[in-house]
Amino acid sequence: MKRTLTSALAAGALSVAVAACGSSGTSPSTSSTSTAGAPQRGGTLIFARSADILSLDPTQITDNESIWASENIFEPLFASAPNGKTLVPWLATSYTLSPNHLVWTFHLRHGVRFATGAPLTSADVKFSIERVSAKATNPFAFIDAAIKSITTPDKYTVVITTKYPWAPLLADVALFANGILPANYGGESEAQFFAHPYGTGPFRVQQWVKGSQLVLVRNPYYWQKGKPYLSKVIFTDVPNDNTRSLQLQGGQAQIDEFPPFSAISQLQHTSGIKVDIFPSSRTDFLEFNEAHKPFQDVHVRRAISYALNRKAMIQAVLFGHGTPANSIISPALWGYDPSSPGIQYNLAAAKREMAQSSVPHGFSTTLLVGSGVTNEESLAQIIQAELKPLGIKVTLRPVDPNTEYTEIQNGQYDMAFNYDTTDIIDPDELISFSAMGGTTGQKTRALFTNYNNPQVDRWAEQAERTFSLSARKALYDKIQTQVANDAVMGYLYYSPFVYAVSTKVHGFTVYPTGNYHLENVWLSH
Amino acid sequence: MLLRYIARRLVLVVPVALGVTLLAFFSIHLVPGDPARTFLGDRATPQTVAALHRAWGLDHPIPVQYWLFMDRLFHGNLGQSLYYQSSVAGLIISRLPVTLLLLAYAAAGAVLISVPLALAAARRPDGIADQAVRAVGIVGIGMPSFWVGTILIIVLALHAGLFPVAGYGSSLPGHLWSLVLPGLTVAISIAPMLVRSLRTAMIDALNSDYVAFARAKGAGGTAVLLRYGLRNASISAVSILGINIGFLVGGTLVIENVFALPGLGSLMVQSVLDRDFPVVQGITLIFAVIVVLVYLLTDVAYALLDPRVRLG
Repeated sequence: MKRTLTSALAAGALSVAVAACGSSGTSPSTSSTSTAGAPQRGGTLIFARSADILSLDPTQITDNESIWASENIFEPLFASAPNGKTLVPWLATSYTLSPNHLVWTFHLRHGVRFATGAPLTSADVKFSIERVSAKATNPFAFIDAAIKSITTPDKYTVVITTKYPWAPLLADVALFANGILPANYGGESEAQFFAHPYGTGPFRVQQWVKGSQLVLVRNPYYWQKGKPYLSKVIFTDVPNDNTRSLQLQGGQAQIDEFPPFSAISQLQHTSGIKVDIFPSSRTDFLEFNEAHKPFQDVHVRRAISYALNRKAMIQAVLFGHGTPANSIISPALWGYDPSSPGIQYNLAAAKREMAQSSVPHGFSTTLLVGSGVTNEESLAQIIQAELKPLGIKVTLRPVDPNTEYTEIQNGQYDMAFNYDTTDIIDPDELISFSAMGGTTGQKTRALFTNYNNPQVDRWAEQAERTFSLSARKALYDKIQTQVANDAVMGYLYYSPFVYAVSTKVHGFTVYPTGNYHLENVWLSH
Repeated sequence: MLLRYIARRLVLVVPVALGVTLLAFFSIHLVPGDPARTFLGDRATPQTVAALHRAWGLDHPIPVQYWLFMDRLFHGNLGQSLYYQSSVAGLIISRLPVTLLLLAYAAAGAVLISVPLALAAARRPDGIADQAVRAVGIVGIGMPSFWVGTILIIVLALHAGLFPVAGYGSSLPGHLWSLVLPGLTVAISIAPMLVRSLRTAMIDALNSDYVAFARAKGAGGTAVLLRYGLRNASISAVSILGINIGFLVGGTLVIENVFALPGLGSLMVQSVLDRDFPVVQGITLIFAVIVVLVYLLTDVAYALLDPRVRLG
């Protein structure tokens, strides 16, 4: 998932306006469970979001808004369970794995139909999954890299053969990019199809005005009987945080994506509105570039990590809605090790580490900051102040977010803010990008930190080939411990997904990967 | 005569547009930042970055990229948006009407606000009305437009329910109604400047000899004000609005963000941040053409309003 640039800037707008119109209301609501009775059919849900949808082709998208919209149109063979820790059958009802672990046989669900009424067959699955890695420019081609071939012995059976034993395959197949389209675009050209795309999902596209709104209507052939409850869903593009809140309060929208953390408490006290807070897979951290002195010195990295007061940061930036991070993996994911020794605030320990380091009297360095990204700007000032007692003089380098990405990836930074999430329900994607160095993994040099620990690489590669869940967990625990002790990054916090929702909305749940199944949502009239 | 003048000015659009594309191209390309890396975010594997560079033509030296861009342009092709992966021309065509309508509303609103205020002020210089208008003007210049927009939404849309809470609506009447508040916001931001200039122009007109003569002949206060003051001041109004088209267009960027309007301004900001080069270049070209055409319209209107002016 990529961060959206313009929403970061829009977050700098006033919250005075929102405060001015909050009415005296009911007691604050917490994450809600729907106890409002039986679901009612019908209605239009207007979902105001912070950025535009760039494309609805699952093989071409990297931005959240496009991804989460496409997941309500196209569906995968297996899908994440709501708690984000396991996979459940979806378009496939079961699978078997050959003894040599190379051949995965999927059995498709009977009775699934596309929004045109055409039945789902194995040919559609083969067509869709092969598209994902068809072009070198496809952003998620890497997820299917282990697949050697796909065959379709009959209408309801798909056989995926991998090049090598590959434990994460089921999770890879569940990725949004592997959502199923009709084979050969259902007889249309590719361009025609994507102007009004449809899949087996609960909704299909009725109208798409780029920059304004995407109108989805119910798929009458949807395989989950009785669902979706809603007749229509409209995703609107409203980049300004205040305006989204005002639309929610004025009834022009029923869901407000990502209100600022500073507005949560006031929104909770507005009648007719509840704030839903969902755990996410996101971990925020401070990255160190080990190719720049003195960050090759583990004592320096450990010292800085000890000096960061995470609770203060969470209060300042998340207004208390977050927890200090102790691992590169978030607690919302399978594989998270609660006893991972991610360094926490301890100024005395920080000074001890500095004393043992190559620069005991401190040094001067720079911190890359995304200009206009409010959280980073606040955190940068906090960190600058917190590193002073160690003799570390931090100069802030504000650059626009695009330049920030480029400089981090090109290694043109000393310290920088970054974060990680996962797109799949398996630690492999995250670990292969963030912990594997050198020429292993995805060759991103441990998320551009230039960390290179062959032991970590070996554990990660072993976890990809091992099929026992407990053995894999043990390997991922070892990796988390190692990278935490090596202080590859200064972990900051885990932050949730925040949504402000009308009290008329029921059944809205966000998964740790950020997506939502709108077939479960209903509106009370 | 007039037609020949217009034709000559239209021909001049071409070199201006070319100059602008050159400037825009090199500035956006020389600024650091790589669209491929931002597009891929933290999933930027070296192979995919390289593949995108090749596909987007970013692996050529910049002068070569400029040549390829101009070659496409001369064949009438503005290229493909890197992020939307659809044609730039299509994106611009769908969003241009929003921005043009917003500008039209803003210009009309600015005139409707400024003319009566300037008349009230110029009628009796340094009188109470004049002081009040000047005070309001100073406050007006100080108010940031995004704040004014949000306040208008809260008061007129949320509480009074007269207008939609931002957005563009989904039918032509919906579009026209949705643009009232944003147009008003931009109008308010330009009104103080317009009121000041109109007021000065009207006072000058009212102090002139021909007005003194008309008064001596017995013409009433209001008739004089409207017939002489207004007609002469309208010339100033047209010039000021026209020259400030750049300011107006800039003002729409923020307003499009606040009011969630799918116009060119918000697309421009997003594309610059994303380094979506073809879109940035396409929109810059369109803006340049709009500005030049508005200058032309201003001059023509000026000539039509003031019979003493000879064009060319």
